Amino acid sequence: MTGPNKPSGRKPTAFRLDDTKVRMTDDETRIPVADEALVTQAFYDEDEPRLPRAASTPKAGFSFGKWLMIGLSGLVSLAIGLAVDSLIRDLFARTDWLGWFGVALAALAALGLLGLVIREIAGLMRLNRIDHLRDRLQTAADEDDSKAATAGLKELLTLYRDRPETAQGRKVLAGHMREVIDGSDLVKLAERDLLAPLDLEARRIVMNSAKRVSIVTAVSPRALVDLLAVLFENLRTIRRLSALYGGRPGTLGFLRLARHVLTHLAVTGGMAAGDSLASQVLGHGLAARLSARLGEGVVNGLLTARIGIAAISVCRPAPFVSGNGPTISDFMGELVASSEKADKIEPNSK
Amino acid sequence: MNPLTTLKEETRLTLANLADAASDLTVPSLRLGVTGLARAGKTVFLTAMVHNLVHGGRLPVFSAAAGHRMTGARLQPQPDDAVPRFDYEAHVRALVNDRVWPASTRQVSELRLTIDYESASYFYRKLGPGRLHVDLIDYPGEWLLDLPLLNKDYATFSADALSRARAKNRSQIAAPFMEAISRTNPDGEESEPAAQELATRFKIYLAACRADTHALSMLPPGRFLMPGDLDGSPALTFAPLDIPADAAPARTGTLRAMMERRYEAYKTHVVRPFFRNHFARLDRQIVLVDVLHALNAGSDAIADLEIALSEVLGAFRPGKRSWLSSILTRRIDRILFAATKADHLHRTDHDRLEAILKRLVARAEERARFRGAEVDVLAMAAVRATREATVKHRGEELPAILGTPLPGERLNGDAYDGNSEIAMFPGDLPANPESIFASVESVCEETRPSFQSAQADLQFLRFRPPELDRTAEGLTLSLPHIRLDRALEFLIGDRLA
Repeated sequence: MTGPNKPSGRKPTAFRLDDTKVRMTDDETRIPVADEALVTQAFYDEDEPRLPRAASTPKAGFSFGKWLMIGLSGLVSLAIGLAVDSLIRDLFARTDWLGWFGVALAALAALGLLGLVIREIAGLMRLNRIDHLRDRLQTAADEDDSKAATAGLKELLTLYRDRPETAQGRKVLAGHMREVIDGSDLVKLAERDLLAPLDLEARRIVMNSAKRVSIVTAVSPRALVDLLAVLFENLRTIRRLSALYGGRPGTLGFLRLARHVLTHLAVTGGMAAGDSLASQVLGHGLAARLSARLGEGVVNGLLTARIGIAAISVCRPAPFVSGNGPTISDFMGELVASSEKADKIEPNSK
Repeated sequence: MNPLTTLKEETRLTLANLADAASDLTVPSLRLGVTGLARAGKTVFLTAMVHNLVHGGRLPVFSAAAGHRMTGARLQPQPDDAVPRFDYEAHVRALVNDRVWPASTRQVSELRLTIDYESASYFYRKLGPGRLHVDLIDYPGEWLLDLPLLNKDYATFSADALSRARAKNRSQIAAPFMEAISRTNPDGEESEPAAQELATRFKIYLAACRADTHALSMLPPGRFLMPGDLDGSPALTFAPLDIPADAAPARTGTLRAMMERRYEAYKTHVVRPFFRNHFARLDRQIVLVDVLHALNAGSDAIADLEIALSEVLGAFRPGKRSWLSSILTRRIDRILFAATKADHLHRTDHDRLEAILKRLVARAEERARFRGAEVDVLAMAAVRATREATVKHRGEELPAILGTPLPGERLNGDAYDGNSEIAMFPGDLPANPESIFASVESVCEETRPSFQSAQADLQFLRFRPPELDRTAEGLTLSLPHIRLDRALEFLIGDRLA
C-alpha cells in the first residue's frame, strides 16, 4: 500500500456510518454490493511488551578472582620493574655507556609494551562493538523497530567500510536503507545482501579445517599429535573467522573470544549432541562404512565443525534472523564423503 | 541586543542555574520545554502525557514504565509561586467527559510531575529510590513568535513585517493596513490616535492571516494575537512603519520615535521576561508542529510555517551537556520534533508525514546536531481520536480512519453535526516531501501543477476526542495515543535509566 505506484488520483472521501449504503463488517473477504461501501475496522493485537533484555541476563557477579588476578599481576609487574631498575643501576656502576644503552633498551621495551597495550585495547573494543551491534540488531529485528535497525546497520556499514570485497553489498544495503522498510525486514536484507558472501566464506573455512582435522587424526601416529593438531586448527579457525567478520582481535581479545566460543559451545553443544551427532556416531550410519581410525577422524572433524559454528555465531556482527545459520548436519555429509574417499585411497596406497 | 543587557541577562541566568543545580542535588529536576505554535497541541500533549504517566497508561516503548521499574507518578506543588497552575484536572474532564478539545491557552501555567522509579543500574539503586521532578510549562503558542524579535531592532522588524505584507500571498489581506501605512508619514509628529489606528489595522491583518483558509504562521508580534493581561497598554500599541533602509535615526517627537520606544518597551517588558522565565533554562525540548493544518491550507502556509519554525528555534540553545557546564549554563541536549495529530492519517502514511516534517525543520535540526544535541523526528498523536479501518467502495480499497468530526467540519459539501461517526479517507500524502516545497520556492515550474493537484487530493478534518471505554468498576482507561511512549522515552527515558 505504501509503494510508489499508488493508484493516483484517489480523492478524499468520507462515509457516514449511519448511512444506509455503508455497512460495517468484520469479514474482510466480503465484496461490497454495487454502490455500497463496506467498512472493516482494523484491530491490531497490541500484546504486552517484553521485559528489557537486561532482566534475563545474568549479572556479572562481584569477583574475588579478579581481585586476586589484579593483585598478583601488579606484584609481578613491580618485580619486573625492580629487576630492570637494579639491572640498569648495575650497568651504570660498571660503565656509563653501558648504562645508557640499558636505559635505551628499557625505553624501547616500554614503547613496545605501550603499543601492545593500545592494540590489545583496540582489539577488545572492536570485539565489544561487534557484540553490542549483534544485540542491537537482534532487538531491532525482534521489535521490528526500523529506527534502531537503521542505526545498527549504519554501524555495520562503517565496520565493513574498508573491506573492498563488500563494496557491492554495502551499496545495495545503503539503497535499502533509504526506503521505507520495516526494521526486521531491513535486518534480513542486510543478512542477504551484505553478509551472505561472508557467511559462505566462513562456511568454507570451517569445512576445510574440519576436513584437515579428520585427515590428520586418521593418519597421525599418536594421540598427542591429534590433540595438538585439533587444538591448533581450532584456534586458527576462530582467529580467521573473527578476522573475516571484521573482529581482528589481539591476544587478549582472542582469549576472550575463545572463552565466548567455549561458553557458546557448552550452551548449545549438549542439546545438539543429543540428536544428530550421537545417532550418526553410535548408529550404523558412519561406523559401518568407515574403518575405526577414519571414524575417529570424522568425530574429531565434527568437533572442529561444531567449534567453528559456535565461533561463527560469536564473531558475526549480526544475528541469524532469516535462517538458523550453519548446522552440524551441513558439514556432516561432506566430511563423511571426503573421509570415505580418503579411506578408499589409503588401502590402495599401502 | 545591547551588550550590557546581554551581560545582565547572562548573569541572571547563570545565578538561576546555580540555584537550580544546588536544589538538584537532593532531587534532580528536568525542565521540559513544550514548544509549538498556536493550535499545535501543546495543552493536549501535556494533559495526555501527565494522564498516561499518572494513570499507568499503555506505554510499551517507554522503557521505565514497560520494564515495570516506574513505581508511580504524581503531581506536586510547582516551584514558582507566581505562575498559575496548569489546570490539568479541568483539561482531562473536558477531554474525557465532554469530549471537546481544551480551549486556546491564554496565559502561562506550570505543573510539576514527580516520577518515582528504581534505577536499572545497581549503583544508583543503592543510593536510594530514584525520583525525578519534571517541570512542565504551558503557554499560548502565539507568544513564541516573539522570541525572534529579541535580536531585531525596530527598523529590521518594520522592514521584515512590511516585506511579508507585500508578498503575493498576503497583499490582499494586508490591503487595509498597507493603505494606512501609505497615508502615514513616519517622521510626522507623534499622535496617539494615529498609532492606535495603525496598531488596530495591523492586529486585524495578523488575525486574518491566521484564519483557517490561509493558516499562516509567521505573524509576530505574538501578543497582538493573544494579548494576555497587557491588552491596550502602550507597549502593545505599535505597528511597523515604512522606513527607508538608509534613514537617519529618528528625531524625538516623531511618530517613528514613539513606535520605536514602544517596540523596545515591548521587548523589555514582555518578551525578555517571558524568554528568561520559561525558555532560557530548558533541559529537553519537544517541538510540536501541526503539519496537516498547514497542508490543508496549501503551499504558502507550508512555506510560512518553515520560516516561523526556523526563526523561533533560533532562539534556543541546543548543545552537549556536561556536568560542569550544566551547573553554570543549561543547554538543551535533546530535541524532539513531532508532527502532531498523526491520528488524522492512516498508519501507512505516517512515514511520509515524518519525512515532510523532517524537511520542514531541516535547518533547525542541522544546527542542533552541529551543536551536539540529540535530535529525533516522529509523527505522533498525544490523544488518538480515531480508529483505523479499510473501506471497499467501487472496486477500490481505501485505508480509512473512523471518528466523529467536530461540529461544523465539512467535506465535499457535506457538513457534520458532531454526533455522526464517519469513515474517512483523507488522501495520500506525497511520497516525496520535496514536491511540496519545490512548488513553493518555484525552483522548478513543472512540479507546480502536480502539487496543485496533489493538494486537492488532501483534506484533513478535525475529529472529536475519543469515547473512552470504562471498566466494569466504572474507571476510565487511560487516553489512547500514537507514539507518545516513544516521545517520552526519548525525552525523559535516559534520566530514569
